[in-house]
Amino acid sequence: MENLEERHRWEYMKTTFGVLVMLVLGTAPAWAVLGEYESSVGLDQQVLRGEIREEVRQGYKLHQITSPNGTIVREYVSPEGKVFGISWQAPFMPNLQQLLGSYSTEVQQAVQSRARRRGGPLVVRTDKLVFVSGGHMRFFRGRAYVPSLLPNNISAEVVR
Amino acid sequence: MTLRNGSTATLGRFLAVVTGWIFLAGCGNSGGGGGGTTPTPVPNTVALEVNSGPANNAVNVAFADVTICMPGTTNCQTIPNVEVDTGSYGLRLLSSAVNFSLPTITDSSNNVLQECIQFADTTYVWGPVAVADIEMAGEKASSVPIQLISASPTIAVPSNCLSLGNPGSSGNLNTVAALGGNGILGIGNFPQDCGPNCAGGNSFAGYPYYLCPGGVCGFATVPLASQVWNPVALFSQDDNGVLISLPAIPAGGQATVSGSLIFGIGTQTNNALGSAQVYATDASGNIQTTYSSVAYPGFFDTGSTGVYFLDATTLGPTGIIECADAPGWYCPSSPVSLTVTNNTGTNGVEVPLTFSIGNADTLFGNLAFTAFNDLGGDSGTGASTDYADFGMPFFYGKNVFVGIMGATPPSGVSATFGYYAY
Repeated sequence: MENLEERHRWEYMKTTFGVLVMLVLGTAPAWAVLGEYESSVGLDQQVLRGEIREEVRQGYKLHQITSPNGTIVREYVSPEGKVFGISWQAPFMPNLQQLLGSYSTEVQQAVQSRARRRGGPLVVRTDKLVFVSGGHMRFFRGRAYVPSLLPNNISAEVVR
Repeated sequence: MTLRNGSTATLGRFLAVVTGWIFLAGCGNSGGGGGGTTPTPVPNTVALEVNSGPANNAVNVAFADVTICMPGTTNCQTIPNVEVDTGSYGLRLLSSAVNFSLPTITDSSNNVLQECIQFADTTYVWGPVAVADIEMAGEKASSVPIQLISASPTIAVPSNCLSLGNPGSSGNLNTVAALGGNGILGIGNFPQDCGPNCAGGNSFAGYPYYLCPGGVCGFATVPLASQVWNPVALFSQDDNGVLISLPAIPAGGQATVSGSLIFGIGTQTNNALGSAQVYATDASGNIQTTYSSVAYPGFFDTGSTGVYFLDATTLGPTGIIECADAPGWYCPSSPVSLTVTNNTGTNGVEVPLTFSIGNADTLFGNLAFTAFNDLGGDSGTGASTDYADFGMPFFYGKNVFVGIMGATPPSGVSATFGYYAY
């Protein structure tokens, strides 16, 4: 009886699943990326479907995008209008290429030149970039900043 | 416990109504252990082996055998060398290790549900969601959604899955050599790998589930029942968590280690919680770990080779420095003892924990050893990104329980999102 039920149920499962296409993206959407101008921050908000909050702080500007699933992306903009730092907290890994733009090659090169630390974070420090990506399933966080773009008298620790 | 009944049934009906898609609630329900009758105990212990693994490259990895079967049949295969991981949720097997063609989860147009799981170090696994019965010791779970890691994907990995955007890189863990084993058995504190976020239509960065009609992939909303499940949560008994029991090993390491993975918590004579302290997790699966008056996220992860703890700058006063030739690993000149406090969560008690960090260069220099209890490395670049990942070194010489969300610990304290106990 148990087996019959099992098989019966399985017949249903083969044909009927509550899976539906939610969104098809042909191309990766543009983001305000590290080292570039802040003009496309609004696009990020659309991509993340989140609430955006802008804060003017002493010596820099912070855009914080919060989405309903708990993803928080923060973008730090210098007085010259360039994104000098980015941080994230999310249940899954962000698209780093979108966040880092041309700086993603720095991370790619670092990844290829070192042994994997199983279950561990990735920390990259070069002349051009400081980057960390860490966490575990359902909990990811990290940050990246460009030392040469840090505004005068602003510590890298503001990128958090 | 009926982890899977209740919530998924409601969600399934809801989806059918709002989308018009046919969905049958409760598929794969294994019945749970509820109902007031005590089931006859079954063997609930499988061997854990720490060794160099099938690729001869593993360090601090706990392997177990997992038996999968065609659903509803006795056509089964035992997959050896599956990595036991308390830091993830769900069974993922290299497709190259599976001998038969398991049924897959599809939508009504026969598009196969695909999944991308990305790890923090930018590695990832990609492949279809299939369904198998799972047997470990005497435990059985019916029709469990699992992920098959594609050896050679028939559908190209979508760009959103490649966090660094470089297809063909070594980031795809789809071989024994790259993964270090035949699969990952995720038995952490959540029942599904994604949970309500993927059932409720919230797309977000790194979203894991895809449908790819015509080879063009888009995000897919997936009810809890069809997501990849922690198999333990679907066992017909002993389904409220696991006990990981590994013997103590000497400082400096040991060649191999044999221990036990025991299913259930407080359900049989061999898995009583006893005097173990319960640490309730938050919604992300973390507890709060405090070091030098600063609080950090903390978690206990057999899927981590080392204890990844804070960063070398923060720990500078202790004598901990990074290894010059191995980025990320710690190389103090002699072992450093560190004490943190872990917060119990529910009643906010701070409980001290002391552990040791040795010199990774020295440890790795002993090529005959695969188990180390004082291997450590960094977790971040400062207070805002640092955390305490108590990886495999933490587990030696302890009994560590991982309680699955939805089950109340036998001690009776509240643990809404699940718990660790040791």
